Amino acid sequence: MLKAENLVKRFDGKEVLSGISFEVIKGQVLAIIGPSGSGKSTLLRCLNLLEKLDGGRLEVDGEVMVRTDNSGKVIYAPEADLRRMRLRFGLVFQNFNLFPHFSVLQNITEAPQRVAGMNPQEAKELALELLDKMGLADKAEAYPYQLSGGQSQRVAIARALAMKPDILFFDEPTSALDPELTGEVLKVIRMLALEHMTMVVVTHEMAFAKEVADRVIFMDKGVIVEAGTPEEIFNNPSNERTRAFLNVLKSF
Amino acid sequence: MFESAIGLVKLLTNGTLTTIQIFFLTLLFSLPLGMLVAFGRMSKNKIVREIFKFYILIMRGTPLLLQLMFVYFAPYYWIGLNWDRFIAAIVAFTLNYAAYFAEIYRGGIESIPQGQYEAAEVLGFTKTQTFMRIILPQVVKRVLPPISNEVITLVKDTALVQTLGVSELFRVAKNESSRIFSTTPLAVAGVYYLLMNWLVTKALHAMEKRLSYYK
Repeated sequence: MLKAENLVKRFDGKEVLSGISFEVIKGQVLAIIGPSGSGKSTLLRCLNLLEKLDGGRLEVDGEVMVRTDNSGKVIYAPEADLRRMRLRFGLVFQNFNLFPHFSVLQNITEAPQRVAGMNPQEAKELALELLDKMGLADKAEAYPYQLSGGQSQRVAIARALAMKPDILFFDEPTSALDPELTGEVLKVIRMLALEHMTMVVVTHEMAFAKEVADRVIFMDKGVIVEAGTPEEIFNNPSNERTRAFLNVLKSF
Repeated sequence: MFESAIGLVKLLTNGTLTTIQIFFLTLLFSLPLGMLVAFGRMSKNKIVREIFKFYILIMRGTPLLLQLMFVYFAPYYWIGLNWDRFIAAIVAFTLNYAAYFAEIYRGGIESIPQGQYEAAEVLGFTKTQTFMRIILPQVVKRVLPPISNEVITLVKDTALVQTLGVSELFRVAKNESSRIFSTTPLAVAGVYYLLMNWLVTKALHAMEKRLSYYK
């Protein structure tokens, strides 16, 4: 569904992604794990066009989003095509980034109405349905400042789902939450996995990645060190760095 | 005695009407112009940015009284153009206040977290939609208190226009004061200014309250 080849990203000449290649398969959950500063979030931001790549190729269902020519110049698809392709992606941020001046309901209906051209009644029904699914039916009229972190993140997930993305990306969705609130967000992601929503989850929750993911990528220092099924990565890591990383975590 | 009091109130009320005109016309033009100046000041183009920086420096760095006289008299000395004092006053005030508003807007716009733009971008909003629907409403709430300060100052600054010979409240009161040899007209004018600012403060508080439904 999404194919990434040899992605390169530099910040001020320093390489943070050094040739990342992987594939997102329809209906699968891909977890990306690795130590802080390994480039996981940057990778997600590049895939969602929030950062510009310095090399590599991105394809969505065979359609080229980004390519690199022989001279090493990165070429993005024309603006209109990029917009259309980007709408197939949803992104859930670490810090939710809800719109504080909109009610919960309007946070969700705004994009379907103004971007997808849905009529207000339809958008409202869709939003209420999604809120119900998130267990937040009673929060439709609340404002973001009145929500807990876990509730905010679930609203953010509903907001992303309202645009009916083909792939939903999560950038450390529980890292900004108090430990007792991570469960309610993970539960929602687990539910989406059962519905075969295609997802890419950057996470520090190893137990969760092991349980929910179909495939796991372990990243360190801008490269994919190891990729495989959760069993392969967690129970029988073949790479020394993966083993070391998981051992440090185990010691907690 | 009673008649002369009525006469004074009539006189000052007339002057106040001119003051109110200057006040509203200045706001009408400078509030939007300030937004344009803010965009210029934040432009990605270095030359544009520097031009607007210079503009703001001049407007904030020299006395408004001097600017007022310059705007009115310069066209006369340069090309012999004798233009309307009232219009000159509005132009000078607009140019001056737009510079202050621009810096307030800039502060407001720059205080909106990057995440708001990114969230809007991934949801597919255009740049215009993002600014008009997501950023601007939040900016308005944030800049309202500093804008209020400027608006209250503007009520009092209108008194400067008297140097151009426009018969606004202060000039009327000053002339009447010397005519009848009494400070009463000035004191009454003071009450008028106070009253205007009381109303302005009330109105601005009401606006702040309307925007207090979120944090």
